[in-house]
Amino acid sequence: MFGNTSMVGFGGSGALSHAYIHYPPLKCRYDGSRGLFYDDGNKLLISPTSDQVVSWKVSPFTSDVAPITDTISEGPILSVHYSLDLKLIAVQRSNHEIQFWVRETGETFTQKSKSDSDSILGFFWTDCAVCDIVFVKTSGLDLYAYVPELKSLELVETKKMNVSWYIYTHESRLVLLASGMQCKSFTGYQLSSAGVIRLPRFEMAMTKVDANSKPVLATEDVHIVTVYGRIYCLQVDRVAMLLHSYRFYRDAVIQQGSLPIYSSKIAVSVVDNVLLVHQVDAKVILLYDIFADSRTPVSAPLPLLIRGLPSRTNAQSSETTLTSNTMANLYGDDWIFLVPDLICDVGNGFLWKVHLDLEAISASNSEVPSVLEFLQRRKLEPKKAKHLCLELARSVIIERRPLPMVFRAIDVLLKSFAYSLKTGSYLKGGKMEKTTISGVPENSESGKFVKNESESGVESRTVHDSGFSTSDSEDNNPSIKKAKAKFLNTNSSGVNTEEASGIGDHSVNENQSLNANVSEQESQVTSAAIPPDELYSFVLASVEEEMIADASYLFAIIVEFIRSASLEKIKLQPNIYVLAVRLLARNERYAELGLFIMNKIIEPSKEVALQLLETSRQSIQTRKLGLDMMRQLMLHHDYIVLLVQDGCYLEALRFARKHKVSTVRPSLFLEAAYASNDPQHLAAVLRFFRDFKPGFATTSEHSTYIRALADMSPSITS
Amino acid sequence: MGLSSAATTTLSEPLKFCIFDLRRGQHEGEELEKILFFFPADLPFPAQLSVVGLSEGLITFTRIFSPEAACEVIEAEMHSHVFFEAEPDIWMVMVVAKSKETEAIWRIEALRSVLKEIHSLFVMFHGSIRMLLDKEPGGGLIRGHLYTFIMDYLTDFLIGNKFLLPNFRDSLKERGTVQMLTVGREAAIEVQSLVGALDSCMANTLGYSVILFQDLLVSTTLTPDDTVNLFTYGTLRLTPRMLSSGGSTWSYLRKGSASSHAESASDRLHGLQDASSVRGDNYQIVRPLQHGKWSKGKDGFLVTDIWGVEVGNLVPTTPTIWLQQIEHKMYLCAYQHKGLTIILLIPVTSMLNGEEGISMLKQQLLENVSSKIYKVEEKLSKGWGGENAYHVKGYRYLLVDSDRNLSRASPSGKVTTLTKESLLTLNKVREDVDLERNRTKADDLEICIRAKNNSWVIAQAARGKQLYIVLEKANETLLYASEAVEKFSDRYCNGAFSLD
Repeated sequence: MFGNTSMVGFGGSGALSHAYIHYPPLKCRYDGSRGLFYDDGNKLLISPTSDQVVSWKVSPFTSDVAPITDTISEGPILSVHYSLDLKLIAVQRSNHEIQFWVRETGETFTQKSKSDSDSILGFFWTDCAVCDIVFVKTSGLDLYAYVPELKSLELVETKKMNVSWYIYTHESRLVLLASGMQCKSFTGYQLSSAGVIRLPRFEMAMTKVDANSKPVLATEDVHIVTVYGRIYCLQVDRVAMLLHSYRFYRDAVIQQGSLPIYSSKIAVSVVDNVLLVHQVDAKVILLYDIFADSRTPVSAPLPLLIRGLPSRTNAQSSETTLTSNTMANLYGDDWIFLVPDLICDVGNGFLWKVHLDLEAISASNSEVPSVLEFLQRRKLEPKKAKHLCLELARSVIIERRPLPMVFRAIDVLLKSFAYSLKTGSYLKGGKMEKTTISGVPENSESGKFVKNESESGVESRTVHDSGFSTSDSEDNNPSIKKAKAKFLNTNSSGVNTEEASGIGDHSVNENQSLNANVSEQESQVTSAAIPPDELYSFVLASVEEEMIADASYLFAIIVEFIRSASLEKIKLQPNIYVLAVRLLARNERYAELGLFIMNKIIEPSKEVALQLLETSRQSIQTRKLGLDMMRQLMLHHDYIVLLVQDGCYLEALRFARKHKVSTVRPSLFLEAAYASNDPQHLAAVLRFFRDFKPGFATTSEHSTYIRALADMSPSITS
Repeated sequence: MGLSSAATTTLSEPLKFCIFDLRRGQHEGEELEKILFFFPADLPFPAQLSVVGLSEGLITFTRIFSPEAACEVIEAEMHSHVFFEAEPDIWMVMVVAKSKETEAIWRIEALRSVLKEIHSLFVMFHGSIRMLLDKEPGGGLIRGHLYTFIMDYLTDFLIGNKFLLPNFRDSLKERGTVQMLTVGREAAIEVQSLVGALDSCMANTLGYSVILFQDLLVSTTLTPDDTVNLFTYGTLRLTPRMLSSGGSTWSYLRKGSASSHAESASDRLHGLQDASSVRGDNYQIVRPLQHGKWSKGKDGFLVTDIWGVEVGNLVPTTPTIWLQQIEHKMYLCAYQHKGLTIILLIPVTSMLNGEEGISMLKQQLLENVSSKIYKVEEKLSKGWGGENAYHVKGYRYLLVDSDRNLSRASPSGKVTTLTKESLLTLNKVREDVDLERNRTKADDLEICIRAKNNSWVIAQAARGKQLYIVLEKANETLLYASEAVEKFSDRYCNGAFSLD
């Protein structure tokens, strides 16, 4: 039973790998065990003994889960499945008989096939609308409903056909029935809550060695895989050494191209929507992200790694043997790969869960934009993915990688953020999982699309290129709407001046509240998507100091950042525009700065206006830009104060009067005019307030400055 | 004496134009040395000397009172003498005849801006006059260059046999400014992204780019002054309109002065010049303003043999120019796609392998940026309102932003609908504003005049911006006129003129 192959050395904890299993495994060894069964509907690992059914819950996966035991009567066991509500246990006793236990009462009943020639290949429970359990027989499918009152099954429907063998995954709700001499002719049914859908019959490709040979397709060579809510079938062609993929639509099955394989034995796992193709003979894994149409692996083939092994010196002897056993047994003969991401070492009675090492994957690929795309699609470890994305984005800039690459990286991140906003996953990524796993192949719309395509013979697959295939139905959620309103630019058509000035005042408030909101969200990262203000603060702003010598490089990146945001209609915070102004000013590109302000590429805001004024020491034009922006934003108070600073008291007063600004104190003007030492100015300012501010003549201020004026005048005349 | 002789000859010569250097020809009998350029060249030397002598006398005299800014203009009964000190002690003087019948009513500043333009374009292509003089103190080099350059420049003003200088009909234009295309934010971002791509194409050579759409500026990374020069040259010789018109002088700026005889006229001018003794034939003289010399190559790059042809392989030499603020010679490389013209300037010193480097750069641009260029062109041409895009119904206007050397005006086709009376009044108002602005350096004024033909002529200046408006067929109250201006200001100038 124990594999003794001398493949030690693979599992050293320092070794490079992209996927790993974590020590300790779930130990599912049980005395008197008669084999292991996996109930993928309930995510249970079942180990029956002669009169008991022992099961471990494997989701969520922990190594120390306690087994649950049910007692059944003795007899042969071909397979065991709990019903989806866990009220019944079904045990296949023979090719003709399945026995049921009602767990609560211990009552049993049996369902037999009608004729002897008609044997049962297997069965599975379903949450389909019309039936509860399906028997797969050599003559076809029997769909039964369970009637609790009668403690019996009631035949609902029969689907007649010849079946050689079948595969089913609960995840996809899809059963594939193989038939024909070579077992390469397939019929599929999807038994979802929407009803029973019959997929069109299709043939799998089998390369022949010569004209007369007729290879037979084996059940272990066909895998049903669910990624991104889409259902694929992968088929090993041992002669061509190819893994053919087919995608299922509601009304079509389309071949999607093939992946090369380097081992005649292939196993498949799916972790976080990444396809892991275990090249069992070579003991390496190839990762594919089949979201995009790319058939290239995410990374180079690397072995599976065991992590968290106790160090040899400290370990007790039993542990050590266990360790060496496991290590020796990597990809041993009695490894069974369970859907979607579990590995069962039947010999040792271990259950492992496969994990992805996002860090290693991102470190092993220098094509940063595609790594970012990959990371953005990961949902199991959003916090880590997000952190890695930020790190990557930062390092491409600091390493001064070619601009086009940086641009693509920025674009990927903003697109992904925009998408997560649109689908609402940005705020509630956790919930998203549920909706994607529903397993319906596609909505009818895209199905039709594909059909049209296949009819016209177009090869390229463009369906769902642009996004995750989640429904938009969550749109009505008010919190999402709110988030959208915050981040998405609703006024996409160039803001006209009236609008711009109109929103000026409260836009500042809005920004503040937004900031508060962002920090709140940070604590609970549910999506790898990075909001633009975090990109700003963790990437752009944080590299500013280091990029002083290369401000134009950073500026080019910011332009692309603004561009991507504008394409995705994402509203940006003023701080990014402030940075843009600062960088342009640093390189003394004042003419361009003017252009950016004029075309509103740098959107007007009080922060930007203040930055313009700050940089205006070198350029008077820039000060004017800042002043004009203040005026256009209707920040009258600030505008007037600035005018006074420039010594334009009278203009400021006229402006104050025209726009009825009463917040500016007269003393501001009076002090400035007094400081100018010009009695004419002071007199004019005094006169203004006397004429236009009721009651001013009686204030102490008035008398103070009248006296001051009187003191000033003679000195001028003398 | 000088005055009278000038008067007699000018009856037949409506335009005289000279450039002289006060540092030369200080000794009696060497006066001719001063003259670096004279038009008409066939004017007898005594007549030339009398113009120069009078000008020099006035400059010397006025310098007593105003050493920094000497004489600007002399208004004689029949002539106006317009002075411009292009470089220290190098003066350009234009003498134009006045005549009511021939529409010869000028605004002095408009004429002076012609002089400025000639000089700054000359410097851009050949370097400063003083530099050329220092290079060859005999003066043959500078005379040859000035002559060919100015004669090529003047062909643009040639109508039939007469020069038509900017007169009162051009009051709603401002020479020496740039006209910009107004684009939406999205398009502007695309343009900037293109600028970034061009920058990275030029890599670390610290090059510059200027992008034009039709005859309008879209983007520039140059300083405002250099932008004006390059924009002027672009609209004179490089834009699609100039290329397609086969070298005719018809342009957005100078619409109406079309002349199919430009080539022959210019030939004639140069024919005259050949007869004259001014030219130093031993210099190879580059004539960047020569007509019909630019064309679009198959790869989209504009080519010309003005700068000569590489010996052996017949590949035209890449043009070079000087920038004002950077003492670097720059390669000029122009690419055109439909309405979009892209001018790249690359420092000669950073192109170690010269022409080879340029062709590599071109290749790179074609490979990496052309898709972006197509996209921008498409976006801009979709959003462009055509020649009359900036027409505002009921208004004839000119808006000048002198801080940034920008101007925008009613399309020339619309300006021609104004009556002569209105234009003359506007010309007068502008003259007054020029004077006022020159004298007080103040930036804040407002003039509103009811002309004899009942049109309103309005001028406003505020913080470096000027606005001129002519309203014909308008209501007669002043309130109406000022409201109309306020409306215009709010709508098209971000309220720059409606502060009070």
